Amino acid sequence: MKRLLLLILSALPLAAQTAPAFEARKLAMIDAYAHYPGPGDAGFGQIAARLWKHEDPAWCSKKLEDLLAAGPSGDMFWMYPVTAIAHLDQGQLTPSARKALRSAWKTYMPYRGDTENHFLLYYSSLYLMSQLYPNEPGSTWYTGKSSEENLEEARQWIENWVKLTTTRGQGEYDSPHYMGVYLLPISYLAAWAKDPAMKKRATMMLDYLIADYAPENLDGLYVGAHARVYEDQLVEKWKGVSSDFGYLWFGVGRPMPFPNNYTLYYAVASGYEPPEVLKRIATDRSKPYTHFEKKRTRNRWRFNDDLHGPVYKTTYVRKEYAVSSDQGGILQPIQEHSWDVTWSVPDARGIQNTLFFTHPFSSVHELQTYFVFGPDSGIEGVVRSKKTYDSPDKILGGSPYEKVFQDEDTLIALYSIAPGARFPHINGFFSKDTGEVKEDPSGWIFLKGGNSTYLAIRPLQPYSWKPIADGGKRLFSPYLNNGVIVQAAAISEYQNLEAFSMAIRKLPLEVHLDPVPSVRFRSLRGRQLEFTYGNNPTVNSKALDYTKWPLFGGPFLQAEVDSERLVIRHDNLRRTLDFRNLTSVDSGR
Amino acid sequence: MKVALLLLTALPLCAQSTLYICAGAAKEYVVGAKLAASGLFRQTPGNTWEHLGYSIPFIFGVDSDPADPSIIFMAAGNGLIRGLNGGKDWTIVTGSDITELRDLAVTPTAIYIAHSRGIRVSKDKGKTWTELSGPLHRKYTEAVRVDRANPNTLLIGGEEGVYRSEDAGKTWKPAGAGTYQIMHLEQSPHDPAVWLAGTQGGGLYISRDGGKTFESPSEAPGFGRNIYDVAFDPTTPTRMAIGGWGPGVTVSEDGGKTWQARNAGLPRPDVSAIVFDPAKPGRIYASVHEEAVYVSDNAGKTWTSAGMEGRVASRMKFIGASK
Repeated sequence: MKRLLLLILSALPLAAQTAPAFEARKLAMIDAYAHYPGPGDAGFGQIAARLWKHEDPAWCSKKLEDLLAAGPSGDMFWMYPVTAIAHLDQGQLTPSARKALRSAWKTYMPYRGDTENHFLLYYSSLYLMSQLYPNEPGSTWYTGKSSEENLEEARQWIENWVKLTTTRGQGEYDSPHYMGVYLLPISYLAAWAKDPAMKKRATMMLDYLIADYAPENLDGLYVGAHARVYEDQLVEKWKGVSSDFGYLWFGVGRPMPFPNNYTLYYAVASGYEPPEVLKRIATDRSKPYTHFEKKRTRNRWRFNDDLHGPVYKTTYVRKEYAVSSDQGGILQPIQEHSWDVTWSVPDARGIQNTLFFTHPFSSVHELQTYFVFGPDSGIEGVVRSKKTYDSPDKILGGSPYEKVFQDEDTLIALYSIAPGARFPHINGFFSKDTGEVKEDPSGWIFLKGGNSTYLAIRPLQPYSWKPIADGGKRLFSPYLNNGVIVQAAAISEYQNLEAFSMAIRKLPLEVHLDPVPSVRFRSLRGRQLEFTYGNNPTVNSKALDYTKWPLFGGPFLQAEVDSERLVIRHDNLRRTLDFRNLTSVDSGR
Repeated sequence: MKVALLLLTALPLCAQSTLYICAGAAKEYVVGAKLAASGLFRQTPGNTWEHLGYSIPFIFGVDSDPADPSIIFMAAGNGLIRGLNGGKDWTIVTGSDITELRDLAVTPTAIYIAHSRGIRVSKDKGKTWTELSGPLHRKYTEAVRVDRANPNTLLIGGEEGVYRSEDAGKTWKPAGAGTYQIMHLEQSPHDPAVWLAGTQGGGLYISRDGGKTFESPSEAPGFGRNIYDVAFDPTTPTRMAIGGWGPGVTVSEDGGKTWQARNAGLPRPDVSAIVFDPAKPGRIYASVHEEAVYVSDNAGKTWTSAGMEGRVASRMKFIGASK
C-alpha cells in the first residue's frame, strides 16, 4: 500500500503535490467571490458566495433587489445565478428580496437559446425553480404554465439530453470554455433536485462529464479536438475555464487569477469532489496511451439527412505532450478545432504551447446548417461577436476541405480545397513559444516544444511565413491540394534535435498531390500509414473501421455506442455507471 | 361590382385591422446579451408603436384566432406563444421537443407551425400536436400557409422548394422552386389560385394554378437575390410586391407581369418584411435592415420613416381589432 502511494505521488505533477486539498481549493474559489476585491462587486456571484458562507444576508438581500430592479437580462445566463441564489437562500434573504426574486420569473421571459448548453441551463433552472415553488398557477410564471407543467417539461428535456449524451455522445463536446455550462447545471440538479432519480442521474452525470475531461488533460490543460473554443484559449490553452476545473478537481495546473463564475456555481451547488478513480486518471501520465471518443455534431437543421453526424476523436497522451484530433470537416459551426499538438510546460500561464494547421473557412451554408439564420446578415452577425470568423488569416474553425488521420503521435491532415473557395490556402500556427524553427532541405521542419517535445512538421506544398500580431508566425501555403504530416516525440527519446531530425529523415515517405493529396508514411513508431483524401486511412494495410468506434475507448474509459453504460477504470479501481438502471458501482481499491 | 364583392368577402376586418410587427433589436444582440425592447409591437392610432408582452429576441411570425382576433399567436424561438388581450398576456403553448419556429397559419379549426425540423398541426388549440413532415426528404420548414379555398390544401416552403398537400399534410408533392430554399409564401386575397413564393437565391416564384406549380416569371424580380417577403395589395388586385436583400421593395402593378424597384427614399435596398395596408389603397410598409420601418402612401414611389429605429422586422401583418 505504501509502495502504491509512493508510485502514485511520483506520477503526480508538481502542482498536484503542492496544491491544497479539494475542500480548501473549493473554499478559496468561493471566498474569491464572497470577499470580492473589487472594484465594485461581483453581482449575483458575490450574493451566491456569501449566502453559501452564511455571511452578510442583509447585503445579499439589498444587492439582489437592486440587481432585479435594474431589470433582468441575459436569458439562461440570468436564470442560473438566480436559481442558485434561490436555493442558497435557506431563510437568509429578506421576504422582500425573496419576493422580488420569485416575481422576476413572471415579469421576465428568458430566451431558451439555440444550443444544448442554453437548453440545459434553461431547463435545469426552470426545473429547480418550479420544484421550489410547487402548486403555483401558470399566471405566476413567464411560461404561462403551472409549476407542475414547467417541471414536467424540464424533466423530459433533461432526461432526453442525458440519454442522448450517454448513447451518442455530447454535441458541444470537450469545450475548454463551455464545459462549465454543462457542469454547473448538472451540479445544481445533483445538489437540489428532490426527485431521487433526477438527483442520482445528475450525480452520475457529474462523474460522466468529469471522466470526459480526465484523460484528455495535460497538466490541467484540456487537449484534444474541441467542439467550441475561443481563439485566445486556442493558442494559450491555460486560459480555458478547464484550468479552473482541473485545479479544483485534481489540483493540477494553475487556476485563473480570479475563478470563472461557472466554477463558482459548480462549487456552491454540489461542489462535487471526483472519486479516486478519476483523480488517478487525471494525473497518471506514467505510460503513454491512446484514448478514443465518439461524439456528435450539434443539431443540423438543414442540408443533412440526419440531425446529428458522428465525430471520431483520437487523443494520444504522454507526460511530455498530447496529439489530438477529430476526422476533420465541418462538425460544428464557427468555433471548431480539429487537431493540435500540445506540449507540457512547467507553468502554462502566458505560454502558447501548441501547434496546428487549419483551412480558413466561413460560409452561409455552414451557418444555415446549424442555425436558422437568414442568408444575408448571418456572417455579419457572427463576426460581431466572433471577430475572426470571416478572416482569411484565422486559425479557428473547421473546414469541409480538411480530412485528418491520427495514429498514436503521428498525424496527417490533408486538404483538397474546392476551386473558387474564398480562401484557397492553409494556415499553420507556430507560436511565439516554439523556439527555433529549423527548415530542413528534406522538406521537414524541426522544432522543440518547450523542454519536453520534439516536433517534425512536413508541409506537402511550398509555403511562406507571415507574422502574427501577438507573436509567433503563420505558415501560409496557397495551394488547393495540400497537407501536413506531424510527428511528435519526447525529448528524452533522442540525444538532441539533430538525432531526432536524422530519425525522421530516414522514414519512408511518399506523397502525391493529384488528383487529391495522398500520403504513404512509415511513422516513427514503425507503423505503415496510408491516407488519401476522401478515403479511409490504413494502418499496416488495415483500414480504420469507423463503424466500430467506441463512445469511449482506451485504458481508462470504456463505453459502447447506445449502451448508456460507462466503465471508468484505473488499474484495478473501477466505477461503472449504468444510466439505464441508474446505478453506480465501485470495485477495486 | 364583382370585384367589390370579392374584396368585401376577402377583407372582412379591413376597417378595423391593426398592424402588428415581429421585430428585434438584433444589432448588437447575441444570446445572453442585454436586449432592447424586442418581440411583438402594435401600431397605435397615433402611429406610435406599442410593445406587447415580453421582450424576446426572436419572433418570426404572427397570426390571430379567426374567431377572436384578440388572441394572437406568435412563432417564436421559444416555441408557439399565445397572447391573450391583443397579444399582451402570453403562454408558451409548445414544449421542449420543438424549437426555432419559423412561421404559422391559424385557421378556424387548426394551428399550423413551421419549425426547424418540420411542420406541426394542432386541432385542439395547442394542447396536442401532430408532426406532418414525415414523408418529406428534408424537414426544415420556413413557411406554411393553408389554402383559404380548401382547408385541406397546405403549402409549405423549405429547404427543397415548395411542397403542396391536398390531404391536410398526410402526403406531399413538390410544387416548384426545388433547387432553392423558400423564405416566404402568400396567397392572393383576390384570386385563391395565385400564390407568391420568395426564395433564397432564386428571386420570386409565382403560381397561378392554386399552388400546384410555381414558376419563375420571365422578368423574374430579384433573381440571384434573397426574397424575404412577398405581399399582395388587398385593395388593388393587380398590385403585388416583394421585399428582398438588394431588390429592396419591388412592385408589380400588372399582376406580376412587369416589376419596378421602388427604393427611392429608403436608406438601403435591404428589406426583410413588407405589408400592404388593407384599409388605405397604396399604403405599404417596409422594414429596412437595422434602420427602421418605412411607409409609403403611393405604393413605394416615396417613403418616410414610420419609426422602430434600429430594429429588424421579420414579419408584419394586419390583424383585426379585438372584439
